[in-house]
Amino acid sequence: MAEAGRKLSLAAWVWVLIAGLAVFELVAHPLIRAATPSDESWEAASAFVRARYQPTDRIVAAPSWADPIVRSHLGDLLSLRMAAPSHLAGIDRVWELSIRGASTRDEPPALEEDFAGVRIRMWPVSTDDVLYDFVEDVEHAEVELVAGDGSKVCPWVSARPAPGGLGRGPMTPKERFVCDPRRPWLWVGATVMPDLELRPRRCIWQHPAGTEPVRVTFLDAPLGERLVIRGGIDYNGERRRNHGPVTLRVWIDDRLAGELVHHDGDGWSGIDIDTSDLALERAEVRFETTAQDPTARLFCWSASTLQGAGDE
Amino acid sequence: MSDGRALNRRDHLIGAGLCVAYVLLLVGTAPDLAMSRDESFYVYAAKSYATWVSQIFSDPTLAFERESIDRAWAYNWEHPAWMKLSFAWSWLAQKHLALFPNESLAFRFPGMLTAGLLLWLIYAWGASVMRRQGALFAALAFALMPRVFYHSHLACFDIPIAFFITLTAYTYWRALADSRWVPLVGLAFGLALATKHNSWLLPGIFLVHFLWIRRDEARAARIDRSSIAWLPSMLIVGPLVLIGTWPWLWHDTWSRLLRYASFHLRHVHYTYEYLGISYFEPPLPVSVPFVMTLFTVSLTVLALSLLGLYHRREALRAPWRLKLGDVAGRRTEVLWLGCMLAPMLAIALPTSPIFGGTKHWITAYPFLALFAGWGLVAIIERSELEAWAGLRWPSWAFAALCLLPGAAETAHSHPFGLSHYTPIAGGVPGAADLGMNRQFWGFTTGSLATWISSKLPEGGSVWICDTTNGAWAMMQRDGLIPSNVGVASSMGSADFVLVHHEAHFNEVDYQAWVAYGSVQPVFVLRYDGVPIISVYENPIDTNRD
Repeated sequence: MAEAGRKLSLAAWVWVLIAGLAVFELVAHPLIRAATPSDESWEAASAFVRARYQPTDRIVAAPSWADPIVRSHLGDLLSLRMAAPSHLAGIDRVWELSIRGASTRDEPPALEEDFAGVRIRMWPVSTDDVLYDFVEDVEHAEVELVAGDGSKVCPWVSARPAPGGLGRGPMTPKERFVCDPRRPWLWVGATVMPDLELRPRRCIWQHPAGTEPVRVTFLDAPLGERLVIRGGIDYNGERRRNHGPVTLRVWIDDRLAGELVHHDGDGWSGIDIDTSDLALERAEVRFETTAQDPTARLFCWSASTLQGAGDE
Repeated sequence: MSDGRALNRRDHLIGAGLCVAYVLLLVGTAPDLAMSRDESFYVYAAKSYATWVSQIFSDPTLAFERESIDRAWAYNWEHPAWMKLSFAWSWLAQKHLALFPNESLAFRFPGMLTAGLLLWLIYAWGASVMRRQGALFAALAFALMPRVFYHSHLACFDIPIAFFITLTAYTYWRALADSRWVPLVGLAFGLALATKHNSWLLPGIFLVHFLWIRRDEARAARIDRSSIAWLPSMLIVGPLVLIGTWPWLWHDTWSRLLRYASFHLRHVHYTYEYLGISYFEPPLPVSVPFVMTLFTVSLTVLALSLLGLYHRREALRAPWRLKLGDVAGRRTEVLWLGCMLAPMLAIALPTSPIFGGTKHWITAYPFLALFAGWGLVAIIERSELEAWAGLRWPSWAFAALCLLPGAAETAHSHPFGLSHYTPIAGGVPGAADLGMNRQFWGFTTGSLATWISSKLPEGGSVWICDTTNGAWAMMQRDGLIPSNVGVASSMGSADFVLVHHEAHFNEVDYQAWVAYGSVQPVFVLRYDGVPIISVYENPIDTNRD
């Protein structure tokens, strides 16, 4: 009898547990939906940020999957450079629009507001000033394809952009330097590339042609204390980690100033070149890409000259 | 050997009722779902096959010539013909008799029918071994799985193969006790082979199960042993049905069979996001089918399945643990467990190609539902629910309570079935936080049809991302998208660009930014607050509204 009583008690508990699970699911489901911020919340939060926005502000979403929603409300304020930053220089404040308690930064913000589920936080940040962004000025560069002792100039043309699509690589901009129409990947221009983490990077596409360099020269670039260079290979090529490295050599007034050797798996990475001791206000800066095997080396880089001593 | 109850007319009436009701529900909700990528390929194939079928009637001699067969059947040789042939017949019926309100439903109806028949079969098998209440619960629990509900709408093979695999397992189980079922095992297996390659697992599962019961019989010192006649039936009739229903195999049979097998054994890897990582080459984590099941099937049903397994643990005892003279019967639960675990383990293998979607192990779910039926029976009987009250309604009320979460989640999942996640994952936003796959196949474009039509009243073009041209054309034929709104071949020439949000589609998002010089979508289609599609507007042509 005692055994029967114990079994009955256990079964009853299981019954309660299963019924409890069903009730949990039934209650949790509408609760999750109810916690979704409304369009009005997003609009109010966006209006708050828009009213205080300055051109050196960065706007981010937390969690990152909410980014398309934030961009749909405030995307007109975001340049490609701000939406796909190569580094954080040149930013004075970070605005974060977050939901579900997500956050991009740990430190306390200078400002915090809540709009029925959409939380706004703002942090002043101390970063270097950007004197010159090579990506945004690429159309004024000179581009050559070196072959033996000579070189072939790549003209700046307005040509048909790529159609777009999965696995097709970064978008070919409408205006770009075209080095060899028979090799449609051999162009130079500003685009946005997904890095190894699938994050957007505003950068200059400069696919190496082989051991002889593709050369991009900025004849009169302002220099500051540092030249910051970042680069990477398109996600689809780099993730497989089965191709050779790409070398980016940087020359300042014909002197080799730095070399970035990018291996698959490095992700978006780079070098900082100290230019403070050059005592130059302006210089010719040359970027050359080479690779032993250029197959699938969809290399893209960014560079800026910086001034100041920011913390970030 | 007889350890199952004979089904009566009432059982089949209940099964037929489930079938009809589910098919009607699917038909009623299908217009909300645009065609998926794979459907559009199968529709194209079905039309090609239908042309050949028509030729049989108009010029049979020509139709059976190799050139005619190859011309009609060369497309989509990667998959067997049975269901595509069903889609073709249904489409021909639509052409001549206008049975359906739109063309897509004509293609989808055979798949829906298999979904309905599968409910009937789950109920029938369940009712053969457990009280009807448990069987009915199992059928409904399966029907009310959000992903099952989504796939049940489609002109694809995933629900059909779940039906034919379950049917083959059922006929095999029947054949163990009644030799009249032996030819049906071969026929059902043939139809499974002719539907999808998931069926290749079946002989292995049945052999393990059969050896298990033969070992039981040896331990029990039984003289009359179970017959293995089902195996030659499967191995002879099965391939004959496969080849007989697939004209592409009528010439160069061996080389084409090898080509077909080789395609699936060396299948390309899809990119699939799981717990924040986009996998694009093996190994996919072993946990994928189990965690995805946890995140997409009602937790209550899963708990009942585990309870059912525990309740039937005696029936799962290893043969060597039986005592001399014990009667173990057909080991139904061992068979169910094999049919449930094998497809999940096949996907979990480190060497398996990367698929990821629950549809690839959806054949496990009828058996998961049957164990849930056992779980319900166990809890009702053990807790003496009916004895306490002296009435039957408390047990029915409890069953209904256990089905309600699945029903609510399924209702809410439509038409975003592949984006839906249960509360244990935190729902749709919780799954987005965890970095789970958000969708595939581009069918969610259907949810934008009204928006697109309103934005392009004078016509225009859309770059449709993961949606295929065939799926778009079907939306036009169904009247969802105006015929003057076409597909753009490039972002630059489109009025609007769509970006389906999956992690590895980020690159397409960035392409749109560069193409239009803007990062601002004009519209973001959301499901429970989570972005599904971003729409970008071409700034060059702003004279649309």
